[in-house]
Amino acid sequence: MKEVLRFENVCMRYHSKQGETVAVENLNFSVKEGEFTAIIGPSGCGKTTLLSLAAGLLKPTQGKIVTSGVSFGYMLQRDELFPWRTIEKNLYLPLEIKGTNTLEQRNKALELAEKYGLKQFLKSYPSSLSGGMRQRAALIRTLALNPDVLLLDEPFSALDYQTRLNVCNDVYKIIRQEHKTALLITHDISEAISVADTVFVLSKRPAKIVAEHSVVFLEDEPLKRRENKEFSKWFEILWGELNA
Amino acid sequence: MKNKSNFSTEHLQYLKKQRNRSILVNVVRIAFLAFLLAVWELAAALEWVNPFITSSPSRIVKTIGDLYTGGTLFYHINTTLTETLVGFFIAVVVGYSVALLLWWSELFRKISEPYLVVLNALPKIALGPLIIIWCGTGSEAIVFMTVLIGLIVAILNMLGGFMATDESKLLLLRSMGASKWQTLTKLVIPSSLPTFISMLKINVGMAWIGSIMGEYIVSKAGIGYLIVYGGQVFKLDLVMSSVLILCVLAAVMYALVALLEKLVVKNVD
Ligand SMILES: Nc1ncnc2c1ncn2[C@@H]1O[C@H](COP(=O)(O)OP(=O)(O)OP(=O)(O)O)[C@@H](O)[C@H]1O
Ligand SMILES: [Mg+2]
Repeated sequence: MKEVLRFENVCMRYHSKQGETVAVENLNFSVKEGEFTAIIGPSGCGKTTLLSLAAGLLKPTQGKIVTSGVSFGYMLQRDELFPWRTIEKNLYLPLEIKGTNTLEQRNKALELAEKYGLKQFLKSYPSSLSGGMRQRAALIRTLALNPDVLLLDEPFSALDYQTRLNVCNDVYKIIRQEHKTALLITHDISEAISVADTVFVLSKRPAKIVAEHSVVFLEDEPLKRRENKEFSKWFEILWGELNA
Repeated sequence: MKNKSNFSTEHLQYLKKQRNRSILVNVVRIAFLAFLLAVWELAAALEWVNPFITSSPSRIVKTIGDLYTGGTLFYHINTTLTETLVGFFIAVVVGYSVALLLWWSELFRKISEPYLVVLNALPKIALGPLIIIWCGTGSEAIVFMTVLIGLIVAILNMLGGFMATDESKLLLLRSMGASKWQTLTKLVIPSSLPTFISMLKINVGMAWIGSIMGEYIVSKAGIGYLIVYGGQVFKLDLVMSSVLILCVLAAVMYALVALLEKLVVKNVD
Protein backbone atom coordinates (compact mmCIF):
# COMPACT_ATOMS: atom_id res chain seq x y z
CA MET A 1 0.00 0.00 0.00
CA LYS A 2 1.13 3.53 -0.79
CA GLU A 3 2.63 5.61 2.00
CA VAL A 4 1.09 9.05 2.38
CA LEU A 5 3.27 10.24 5.23
CA ARG A 6 6.69 9.18 6.43
CA PHE A 7 8.83 10.50 9.30
CA GLU A 8 12.56 9.89 8.79
CA ASN A 9 14.77 10.39 11.84
CA VAL A 10 12.75 13.38 12.88
CA CYS A 11 13.93 15.44 15.84
CA MET A 12 12.13 18.44 17.26
CA ARG A 13 13.48 20.77 19.91
CA TYR A 14 11.68 23.74 21.35
CA HIS A 15 13.64 26.76 22.43
CA SER A 16 12.42 29.11 25.07
CA LYS A 17 14.04 31.37 27.66
CA GLN A 18 13.76 28.60 30.24
CA GLY A 19 15.81 26.30 28.06
CA GLU A 20 15.54 23.66 25.45
CA THR A 21 12.91 20.94 25.31
CA VAL A 22 13.48 17.91 23.18
CA ALA A 23 9.92 16.98 22.27
CA VAL A 24 10.58 14.36 19.62
CA GLU A 25 13.75 12.42 18.96
CA ASN A 26 14.75 10.18 16.12
CA LEU A 27 11.25 9.35 15.10
CA ASN A 28 10.58 6.93 12.28
CA PHE A 29 7.18 5.75 11.17
CA SER A 30 4.86 5.89 8.23
CA VAL A 31 1.17 6.08 7.52
CA LYS A 32 -0.32 4.06 4.69
CA GLU A 33 -3.05 5.26 2.40
CA GLY A 34 -6.56 4.29 3.46
CA GLU A 35 -5.44 3.02 6.84
CA PHE A 36 -6.49 4.14 10.25
CA THR A 37 -3.29 4.65 12.20
CA ALA A 38 -3.26 5.38 15.92
CA ILE A 39 -0.34 6.64 17.95
CA ILE A 40 -0.52 6.30 21.71
CA GLY A 41 1.79 7.95 24.17
CA PRO A 42 1.80 9.26 27.71
CA SER A 43 0.67 12.83 28.46
CA GLY A 44 3.13 15.51 27.45
CA CYS A 45 5.33 13.16 25.46
CA GLY A 46 5.15 15.20 22.28
CA LYS A 47 2.04 13.89 20.53
CA THR A 48 0.67 17.28 19.53
CA THR A 49 4.11 18.26 18.32
CA LEU A 50 4.15 15.19 16.15
CA LEU A 51 0.84 16.11 14.50
CA SER A 52 1.88 19.71 13.99
CA LEU A 53 4.99 18.40 12.27
CA ALA A 54 2.92 16.14 10.06
CA ALA A 55 0.59 19.00 9.13
CA GLY A 56 3.59 21.16 8.27
CA LEU A 57 2.78 23.71 10.97
CA LEU A 58 6.22 23.12 12.48
CA LYS A 59 9.51 22.45 10.78
CA PRO A 60 11.57 19.62 12.27
CA THR A 61 14.93 20.54 13.79
CA GLN A 62 16.42 17.49 12.13
CA GLY A 63 15.27 14.74 9.82
CA LYS A 64 12.74 14.69 7.08
CA ILE A 65 8.99 14.43 6.77
CA VAL A 66 7.90 13.03 3.45
CA THR A 67 4.37 13.56 2.28
CA SER A 68 3.31 12.32 -1.13
CA GLY A 69 1.52 15.49 -2.14
CA VAL A 70 -1.51 14.80 0.02
CA SER A 71 -3.61 17.41 1.77
CA PHE A 72 -4.24 17.34 5.51
CA GLY A 73 -7.24 18.14 7.66
CA TYR A 74 -6.74 18.83 11.34
CA MET A 75 -9.19 17.98 14.09
CA LEU A 76 -8.49 19.20 17.59
CA GLN A 77 -9.19 18.05 21.09
CA ARG A 78 -12.12 20.40 21.44
CA ASP A 79 -14.41 21.18 18.53
CA GLU A 80 -13.33 24.85 18.37
CA LEU A 81 -16.48 25.81 16.54
CA PHE A 82 -16.74 29.59 16.46
CA PRO A 83 -19.59 30.45 18.83
CA TRP A 84 -20.58 33.57 16.87
CA ARG A 85 -21.17 31.58 13.69
CA THR A 86 -24.03 29.23 12.99
CA ILE A 87 -23.12 25.62 12.31
CA GLU A 88 -23.58 26.28 8.60
CA LYS A 89 -21.23 29.27 8.68
CA ASN A 90 -18.76 27.23 10.70
CA LEU A 91 -18.72 24.61 7.98
CA TYR A 92 -17.92 27.31 5.41
CA LEU A 93 -14.99 28.64 7.44
CA PRO A 94 -12.30 26.50 5.79
CA LEU A 95 -13.74 27.37 2.37
CA GLU A 96 -13.48 31.07 3.16
CA ILE A 97 -9.91 30.62 4.34
CA LYS A 98 -8.92 28.71 1.23
CA GLY A 99 -10.74 31.16 -1.01
CA THR A 100 -12.88 28.36 -2.46
CA ASN A 101 -16.14 29.58 -1.02
CA THR A 102 -18.10 28.79 -4.16
CA LEU A 103 -21.67 27.61 -4.41
CA GLU A 104 -20.43 24.20 -5.49
CA GLN A 105 -18.08 23.81 -2.54
CA ARG A 106 -20.71 25.05 -0.14
CA ASN A 107 -23.20 22.56 -1.48
CA LYS A 108 -20.69 19.78 -0.99
CA ALA A 109 -20.27 20.78 2.63
CA LEU A 110 -24.01 20.91 3.05
CA GLU A 111 -24.38 17.49 1.48
CA LEU A 112 -21.95 16.06 4.02
CA ALA A 113 -23.80 17.78 6.84
CA GLU A 114 -27.06 16.35 5.63
CA LYS A 115 -25.65 12.88 5.14
CA TYR A 116 -24.32 12.81 8.68
CA GLY A 117 -27.34 14.17 10.48
CA LEU A 118 -26.51 17.81 10.96
CA LYS A 119 -29.17 19.21 8.69
CA GLN A 120 -31.54 20.30 11.42
CA PHE A 121 -28.75 22.14 13.25
CA LEU A 122 -27.39 24.13 10.33
CA LYS A 123 -29.02 27.38 11.42
CA SER A 124 -28.27 26.84 15.11
CA TYR A 125 -25.39 28.23 17.05
CA PRO A 126 -22.87 25.76 18.49
CA SER A 127 -23.91 26.53 22.08
CA SER A 128 -27.26 24.84 21.48
CA LEU A 129 -25.68 21.55 20.37
CA SER A 130 -24.57 18.64 22.51
CA GLY A 131 -20.87 17.92 22.83
CA GLY A 132 -21.17 14.94 20.53
CA MET A 133 -23.01 16.88 17.83
CA ARG A 134 -20.47 19.67 18.04
CA GLN A 135 -17.59 17.27 17.54
CA ARG A 136 -19.42 15.81 14.57
CA ALA A 137 -19.82 19.31 13.14
CA ALA A 138 -16.10 19.81 13.66
CA LEU A 139 -15.44 16.67 11.65
CA ILE A 140 -17.66 17.83 8.80
CA ARG A 141 -15.86 21.18 8.88
CA THR A 142 -12.57 19.30 8.52
CA LEU A 143 -13.99 17.24 5.68
CA ALA A 144 -15.32 20.31 3.86
CA LEU A 145 -11.95 20.85 2.19
CA ASN A 146 -11.90 17.22 1.16
CA PRO A 147 -8.49 16.43 2.70
CA ASP A 148 -6.75 13.15 1.90
CA VAL A 149 -5.47 12.58 5.41
CA LEU A 150 -7.19 13.44 8.69
CA LEU A 151 -5.01 14.30 11.64
CA LEU A 152 -6.91 13.76 14.87
CA ASP A 153 -5.44 15.13 18.09
CA GLU A 154 -7.28 13.41 20.95
CA PRO A 155 -10.55 14.50 19.38
CA PHE A 156 -12.75 12.77 21.94
CA SER A 157 -10.90 13.41 25.17
CA ALA A 158 -13.02 16.41 26.11
CA LEU A 159 -16.25 14.36 26.00
CA ASP A 160 -17.76 12.37 28.83
CA TYR A 161 -17.22 8.62 28.70
CA GLN A 162 -20.49 7.49 27.15
CA THR A 163 -20.54 10.27 24.57
CA ARG A 164 -16.91 9.56 23.79
CA LEU A 165 -17.63 5.95 22.85
CA ASN A 166 -20.57 6.93 20.69
CA VAL A 167 -18.90 9.84 18.96
CA CYS A 168 -15.78 7.77 18.37
CA ASN A 169 -17.97 5.17 16.73
CA ASP A 170 -19.68 7.82 14.59
CA VAL A 171 -16.50 9.52 13.54
CA TYR A 172 -14.91 6.20 12.71
CA LYS A 173 -17.80 5.25 10.44
CA ILE A 174 -17.78 8.61 8.69
CA ILE A 175 -14.05 8.44 8.07
CA ARG A 176 -14.35 4.93 6.67
CA GLN A 177 -17.33 5.82 4.54
CA GLU A 178 -15.50 8.79 3.06
CA HIS A 179 -12.45 6.58 2.43
CA LYS A 180 -10.08 8.81 4.30
CA THR A 181 -6.68 8.02 5.69
CA ALA A 182 -6.55 8.89 9.38
CA LEU A 183 -3.84 9.44 11.93
CA LEU A 184 -5.21 9.48 15.46
CA ILE A 185 -3.16 10.62 18.41
CA THR A 186 -4.37 9.63 21.84
CA HIS A 187 -3.33 8.62 25.33
CA ASP A 188 -6.37 6.37 25.60
CA ILE A 189 -5.26 2.81 24.87
CA SER A 190 -8.74 1.37 24.38
CA GLU A 191 -9.67 4.13 21.98
CA ALA A 192 -6.64 3.30 19.87
CA ILE A 193 -7.42 -0.42 19.82
CA SER A 194 -11.06 0.18 18.95
CA VAL A 195 -10.33 2.14 15.77
CA ALA A 196 -6.86 1.41 14.44
CA ASP A 197 -5.41 -0.83 11.78
CA THR A 198 -1.95 0.04 12.98
CA VAL A 199 -0.94 1.22 16.45
CA PHE A 200 2.37 2.87 17.28
CA VAL A 201 3.41 3.21 20.89
CA LEU A 202 5.46 6.22 21.93
CA SER A 203 7.86 6.46 24.84
CA LYS A 204 7.92 9.28 27.37
CA ARG A 205 9.40 12.55 26.19
CA PRO A 206 11.37 12.77 24.01
CA ALA A 207 8.94 10.69 22.00
CA LYS A 208 10.32 7.65 20.21
CA ILE A 209 8.48 4.71 18.70
CA VAL A 210 8.78 1.73 21.04
CA ALA A 211 6.41 -0.66 19.26
CA GLU A 212 4.27 -1.11 16.19
CA HIS A 213 1.26 -3.41 15.97
CA SER A 214 -1.13 -4.41 13.25
CA VAL A 215 -4.44 -4.69 14.98
CA VAL A 216 -6.79 -7.04 13.18
CA PHE A 217 -10.38 -7.59 14.24
CA LEU A 218 -13.22 -9.35 12.50
CA GLU A 219 -15.52 -6.55 13.52
CA ASP A 220 -15.17 -3.24 11.86
CA GLU A 221 -16.77 -0.94 14.36
CA PRO A 222 -15.27 0.49 17.53
CA LEU A 223 -18.17 -0.45 19.80
CA LYS A 224 -18.22 -4.05 18.51
CA ARG A 225 -14.46 -4.33 18.78
CA ARG A 226 -14.69 -3.43 22.42
CA GLU A 227 -16.85 -6.51 23.02
CA ASN A 228 -14.37 -8.84 21.37
CA LYS A 229 -12.21 -11.13 23.56
CA GLU A 230 -9.11 -10.00 21.68
CA PHE A 231 -9.69 -6.48 22.90
CA SER A 232 -8.45 -7.01 26.45
CA LYS A 233 -5.48 -8.97 25.15
CA TRP A 234 -4.44 -5.99 23.06
CA PHE A 235 -5.05 -3.71 25.98
CA GLU A 236 -2.65 -5.67 28.16
CA ILE A 237 0.08 -5.66 25.55
CA LEU A 238 -0.16 -1.92 24.92
CA TRP A 239 -0.52 -1.13 28.61
CA GLY A 240 2.70 -2.98 29.25
CA GLU A 241 4.56 -1.17 26.52
CA LEU A 242 3.25 2.22 27.48
CA ASN A 243 4.33 1.80 31.08
CA ALA A 244 7.66 0.15 30.37
CA MET B 1 -38.60 25.95 24.59
CA LYS B 2 -42.00 24.72 25.67
CA ASN B 3 -44.88 27.05 25.18
CA LYS B 4 -46.51 28.63 28.11
CA SER B 5 -49.57 26.47 28.47
CA ASN B 6 -47.36 23.40 28.84
CA PHE B 7 -45.47 24.67 31.86
CA SER B 8 -46.04 22.85 35.10
CA THR B 9 -47.77 24.85 37.83
CA GLU B 10 -44.52 24.72 39.74
CA HIS B 11 -42.74 26.46 36.90
CA LEU B 12 -45.51 29.05 36.58
CA GLN B 13 -45.16 29.77 40.27
CA TYR B 14 -41.43 30.15 39.82
CA LEU B 15 -41.94 32.63 36.98
CA LYS B 16 -44.47 34.55 39.02
CA LYS B 17 -42.07 34.76 41.92
CA GLN B 18 -39.33 36.07 39.65
CA ARG B 19 -41.66 38.67 38.21
CA ASN B 20 -42.84 39.80 41.62
CA ARG B 21 -39.28 40.10 42.75
CA SER B 22 -38.31 42.36 39.85
CA ILE B 23 -41.39 44.51 40.47
CA LEU B 24 -40.38 44.78 44.11
CA VAL B 25 -36.85 45.86 43.20
CA ASN B 26 -38.12 48.59 40.89
CA VAL B 27 -40.70 49.85 43.35
CA VAL B 28 -38.16 50.07 46.16
CA ARG B 29 -35.67 51.83 43.88
CA ILE B 30 -38.19 54.52 42.99
CA ALA B 31 -39.49 54.79 46.53
CA PHE B 32 -35.96 55.22 47.83
CA LEU B 33 -35.29 58.07 45.39
CA ALA B 34 -38.61 59.72 46.25
CA PHE B 35 -37.82 59.38 49.93
CA LEU B 36 -34.38 60.99 49.50
CA LEU B 37 -35.82 63.85 47.49
CA ALA B 38 -38.60 64.39 50.02
CA VAL B 39 -36.22 64.46 52.98
CA TRP B 40 -33.87 66.80 51.11
CA GLU B 41 -36.71 69.14 50.19
CA LEU B 42 -38.17 69.05 53.67
CA ALA B 43 -34.84 69.63 55.35
CA ALA B 44 -34.26 72.66 53.18
CA ALA B 45 -37.80 74.01 53.51
CA LEU B 46 -37.79 73.72 57.30
CA GLU B 47 -34.25 75.07 57.37
CA TRP B 48 -32.83 72.09 59.23
CA VAL B 49 -29.96 72.68 56.87
CA ASN B 50 -29.01 75.83 55.04
CA PRO B 51 -30.60 75.56 51.57
CA PHE B 52 -28.06 78.08 50.34
CA ILE B 53 -25.40 75.40 50.82
CA THR B 54 -27.34 72.19 50.22
CA SER B 55 -29.75 73.45 47.59
CA SER B 56 -33.00 71.49 47.27
CA PRO B 57 -34.98 69.62 44.63
CA SER B 58 -37.36 72.52 44.05
CA ARG B 59 -34.46 74.96 43.72
CA ILE B 60 -32.79 72.60 41.24
CA VAL B 61 -35.95 72.39 39.15
CA LYS B 62 -36.22 76.16 39.23
CA THR B 63 -32.55 76.62 38.26
CA ILE B 64 -32.87 74.27 35.34
CA GLY B 65 -36.09 76.03 34.33
CA ASP B 66 -34.29 79.38 34.44
CA LEU B 67 -31.46 78.05 32.32
CA TYR B 68 -34.02 76.78 29.87
CA THR B 69 -35.98 80.02 29.63
CA GLY B 70 -32.71 81.93 29.52
CA GLY B 71 -31.92 79.89 26.44
CA THR B 72 -28.56 78.62 27.68
CA LEU B 73 -29.53 75.17 28.97
CA PHE B 74 -29.13 73.37 25.67
CA TYR B 75 -26.19 75.51 24.71
CA HIS B 76 -24.24 74.21 27.71
CA ILE B 77 -25.49 70.65 27.31
CA ASN B 78 -24.59 70.69 23.63
CA THR B 79 -21.13 72.02 24.28
CA THR B 80 -20.24 69.34 26.79
CA LEU B 81 -22.04 66.56 24.94
CA THR B 82 -20.23 67.37 21.70
CA GLU B 83 -16.85 67.50 23.40
CA THR B 84 -17.54 64.25 25.19
CA LEU B 85 -18.79 62.40 22.12
CA VAL B 86 -16.04 63.65 19.81
CA GLY B 87 -13.40 62.79 22.42
CA PHE B 88 -15.03 59.40 23.03
CA PHE B 89 -15.09 58.47 19.35
CA ILE B 90 -11.56 59.61 18.67
CA ALA B 91 -10.25 57.72 21.71
CA VAL B 92 -12.16 54.57 20.75
CA VAL B 93 -11.25 54.61 17.05
CA VAL B 94 -7.59 55.54 17.52
CA GLY B 95 -7.27 53.24 20.55
CA TYR B 96 -8.73 50.31 18.63
CA SER B 97 -6.46 50.93 15.65
CA VAL B 98 -3.33 51.24 17.74
CA ALA B 99 -4.26 48.04 19.59
CA LEU B 100 -4.64 46.29 16.22
CA LEU B 101 -1.23 47.49 15.18
CA LEU B 102 0.31 46.29 18.42
CA TRP B 103 -1.38 42.92 18.03
CA TRP B 104 -0.02 42.65 14.50
CA SER B 105 3.61 43.36 15.34
CA GLU B 106 5.17 41.67 18.33
CA LEU B 107 8.25 43.85 18.04
CA PHE B 108 6.20 47.01 18.11
CA ARG B 109 4.28 45.64 21.08
CA LYS B 110 7.40 44.90 23.08
CA ILE B 111 8.94 48.28 22.31
CA SER B 112 5.86 50.25 23.29
CA GLU B 113 5.10 48.34 26.50
CA PRO B 114 6.95 50.59 29.00
CA TYR B 115 5.58 53.72 27.34
CA LEU B 116 2.04 52.47 27.64
CA VAL B 117 2.53 51.53 31.27
CA VAL B 118 3.90 54.97 32.16
CA LEU B 119 1.30 56.85 30.13
CA ASN B 120 -1.42 54.79 31.76
CA ALA B 121 -0.20 55.61 35.25
CA LEU B 122 0.32 59.31 34.51
CA PRO B 123 -2.49 61.51 35.87
CA LYS B 124 -3.49 63.31 32.68
CA ILE B 125 -4.61 66.41 34.56
CA ALA B 126 -0.91 67.09 35.10
CA LEU B 127 -0.75 67.96 31.41
CA GLY B 128 -3.35 70.73 31.85
CA PRO B 129 -1.00 73.69 31.31
CA LEU B 130 0.55 72.03 28.28
CA ILE B 131 -2.83 71.39 26.77
CA ILE B 132 -3.81 75.03 27.16
CA ILE B 133 -0.62 76.15 25.47
CA TRP B 134 -0.85 73.60 22.70
CA CYS B 135 -4.55 73.69 21.96
CA GLY B 136 -5.66 77.06 23.21
CA THR B 137 -8.66 77.61 25.41
CA GLY B 138 -11.42 76.42 23.08
CA SER B 139 -13.25 73.16 22.74
CA GLU B 140 -10.18 71.61 21.11
CA ALA B 141 -8.35 71.62 24.41
CA ILE B 142 -11.21 69.82 26.10
CA VAL B 143 -11.54 67.25 23.36
CA PHE B 144 -7.80 66.71 23.58
CA MET B 145 -8.04 66.08 27.31
CA THR B 146 -10.91 63.66 26.76
CA VAL B 147 -8.95 61.74 24.14
CA LEU B 148 -5.88 61.64 26.35
CA ILE B 149 -7.81 60.13 29.21
CA GLY B 150 -9.65 57.53 27.13
CA LEU B 151 -6.97 56.56 24.65
CA ILE B 152 -4.54 54.56 26.75
CA VAL B 153 -7.37 52.74 28.49
CA ALA B 154 -8.84 51.87 25.10
CA ILE B 155 -5.50 50.63 23.77
CA LEU B 156 -4.69 48.50 26.81
CA ASN B 157 -8.17 46.99 27.02
CA MET B 158 -8.38 46.11 23.34
CA LEU B 159 -4.85 44.77 23.18
CA GLY B 160 -5.69 42.55 26.14
CA GLY B 161 -8.75 41.32 24.27
CA PHE B 162 -6.84 40.63 21.07
CA MET B 163 -4.03 38.83 22.86
CA ALA B 164 -6.49 36.65 24.75
CA THR B 165 -7.62 34.97 21.52
CA ASP B 166 -7.95 31.26 22.14
CA GLU B 167 -4.73 29.41 21.27
CA SER B 168 -6.49 26.33 19.93
CA LYS B 169 -8.64 28.40 17.61
CA LEU B 170 -5.51 30.10 16.34
CA LEU B 171 -3.99 26.68 15.75
CA LEU B 172 -7.11 25.57 13.91
CA LEU B 173 -6.89 28.53 11.55
CA ARG B 174 -3.19 27.96 11.02
CA SER B 175 -3.90 24.35 10.11
CA MET B 176 -6.33 25.64 7.48
CA GLY B 177 -3.55 27.82 6.11
CA ALA B 178 -5.07 31.13 7.17
CA SER B 179 -3.12 34.33 6.57
CA LYS B 180 -2.57 36.81 9.37
CA TRP B 181 -5.20 39.06 7.87
CA GLN B 182 -7.72 36.20 7.78
CA THR B 183 -6.86 35.29 11.35
CA LEU B 184 -7.54 38.87 12.32
CA THR B 185 -10.84 39.26 10.52
CA LYS B 186 -12.28 35.79 11.05
CA LEU B 187 -11.17 35.14 14.60
CA VAL B 188 -9.41 37.88 16.55
CA ILE B 189 -11.88 40.68 15.88
CA PRO B 190 -15.10 38.67 16.32
CA SER B 191 -13.89 36.90 19.44
CA SER B 192 -12.87 40.19 21.04
CA LEU B 193 -16.30 41.73 20.60
CA PRO B 194 -17.20 41.41 24.30
CA THR B 195 -13.94 43.15 25.20
CA PHE B 196 -14.84 45.88 22.73
CA ILE B 197 -18.18 46.43 24.42
CA SER B 198 -16.69 46.50 27.90
CA MET B 199 -14.06 48.92 26.61
CA LEU B 200 -16.86 51.16 25.31
CA LYS B 201 -18.51 51.07 28.72
CA ILE B 202 -15.31 52.01 30.49
CA ASN B 203 -14.67 54.75 27.95
CA VAL B 204 -18.10 56.30 28.44
CA GLY B 205 -16.99 57.03 31.99
CA MET B 206 -13.53 58.13 30.86
CA ALA B 207 -14.96 60.54 28.29
CA TRP B 208 -17.09 62.31 30.88
CA ILE B 209 -14.16 62.53 33.26
CA GLY B 210 -12.09 63.96 30.42
CA SER B 211 -14.58 66.56 29.25
CA ILE B 212 -15.54 67.79 32.70
CA MET B 213 -11.93 67.89 33.81
CA GLY B 214 -11.07 69.72 30.62
CA GLU B 215 -13.80 72.24 31.31
CA TYR B 216 -12.49 72.73 34.82
CA ILE B 217 -9.14 73.77 33.37
CA VAL B 218 -10.27 75.85 30.43
CA SER B 219 -13.74 76.70 29.29
CA LYS B 220 -16.27 79.32 28.48
CA ALA B 221 -19.24 77.02 28.30
CA GLY B 222 -20.46 73.55 29.17
CA ILE B 223 -21.69 71.63 32.20
CA GLY B 224 -18.23 71.54 33.77
CA TYR B 225 -17.97 75.27 33.25
CA LEU B 226 -21.32 75.76 35.01
CA ILE B 227 -20.10 73.69 37.95
CA VAL B 228 -16.88 75.66 38.31
CA TYR B 229 -18.66 78.96 37.80
CA GLY B 230 -21.40 78.00 40.27
CA GLY B 231 -18.78 77.11 42.84
CA GLN B 232 -16.87 80.33 42.38
CA VAL B 233 -19.91 82.58 42.78
CA PHE B 234 -21.36 80.31 45.47
CA LYS B 235 -24.45 79.39 43.45
CA LEU B 236 -24.75 75.86 44.72
CA ASP B 237 -28.15 75.45 43.06
CA LEU B 238 -26.32 75.74 39.78
CA VAL B 239 -23.70 73.20 40.85
CA MET B 240 -26.31 70.68 41.95
CA SER B 241 -28.38 71.21 38.80
CA SER B 242 -25.34 70.66 36.63
CA VAL B 243 -24.40 67.48 38.46
CA LEU B 244 -27.94 66.21 38.00
CA ILE B 245 -27.85 66.95 34.26
CA LEU B 246 -24.51 65.17 34.09
CA CYS B 247 -25.94 62.09 35.81
CA VAL B 248 -28.76 61.93 33.30
CA LEU B 249 -26.49 62.37 30.27
CA ALA B 250 -23.98 59.78 31.46
CA ALA B 251 -26.76 57.31 32.22
CA VAL B 252 -28.28 57.76 28.76
CA MET B 253 -24.91 57.21 27.08
CA TYR B 254 -24.25 54.12 29.16
CA ALA B 255 -27.71 52.79 28.34
CA LEU B 256 -27.02 53.24 24.63
CA VAL B 257 -23.85 51.16 24.92
CA ALA B 258 -25.73 48.52 26.90
CA LEU B 259 -28.34 48.45 24.14
CA LEU B 260 -25.61 48.02 21.55
CA GLU B 261 -24.29 45.13 23.61
CA LYS B 262 -27.68 43.45 23.54
CA LEU B 263 -27.84 43.84 19.78
CA VAL B 264 -24.38 42.59 18.85
CA VAL B 265 -23.14 40.25 21.56
CA LYS B 266 -25.34 37.24 21.33
CA ASN B 267 -23.20 34.28 20.58
CA VAL B 268 -19.74 34.92 21.83
CA ASP B 269 -18.80 32.75 24.78
N1 LIG C 1 5.74 26.08 21.61
C1 LIG C 1 6.44 25.39 22.53
N2 LIG C 1 7.54 25.95 23.09
C2 LIG C 1 8.25 25.27 24.02
N3 LIG C 1 7.95 24.03 24.46
C3 LIG C 1 6.87 23.43 23.95
C4 LIG C 1 6.05 24.08 22.95
N4 LIG C 1 5.04 23.25 22.64
C5 LIG C 1 5.20 22.15 23.39
N5 LIG C 1 6.32 22.23 24.16
C6 LIG C 1 6.81 21.20 25.07
O1 LIG C 1 7.05 20.02 24.33
C7 LIG C 1 6.61 18.88 25.05
C8 LIG C 1 5.66 18.07 24.21
O2 LIG C 1 4.46 18.85 24.02
P1 LIG C 1 3.21 18.29 23.24
O3 LIG C 1 2.13 19.30 23.35
O4 LIG C 1 3.62 17.89 21.88
O5 LIG C 1 2.85 16.99 24.07
P2 LIG C 1 1.50 16.13 24.07
O6 LIG C 1 1.92 14.71 24.11
O7 LIG C 1 0.61 16.55 22.98
O8 LIG C 1 0.90 16.54 25.47
P3 LIG C 1 -0.62 16.35 25.97
O9 LIG C 1 -0.75 14.92 26.35
O10 LIG C 1 -0.64 17.27 27.16
O11 LIG C 1 -1.52 16.78 24.87
C9 LIG C 1 6.03 19.37 26.35
O12 LIG C 1 6.98 19.19 27.37
C10 LIG C 1 5.78 20.84 26.11
O13 LIG C 1 5.98 21.56 27.29
MG1 LIG D 1 -1.46 17.34 22.99
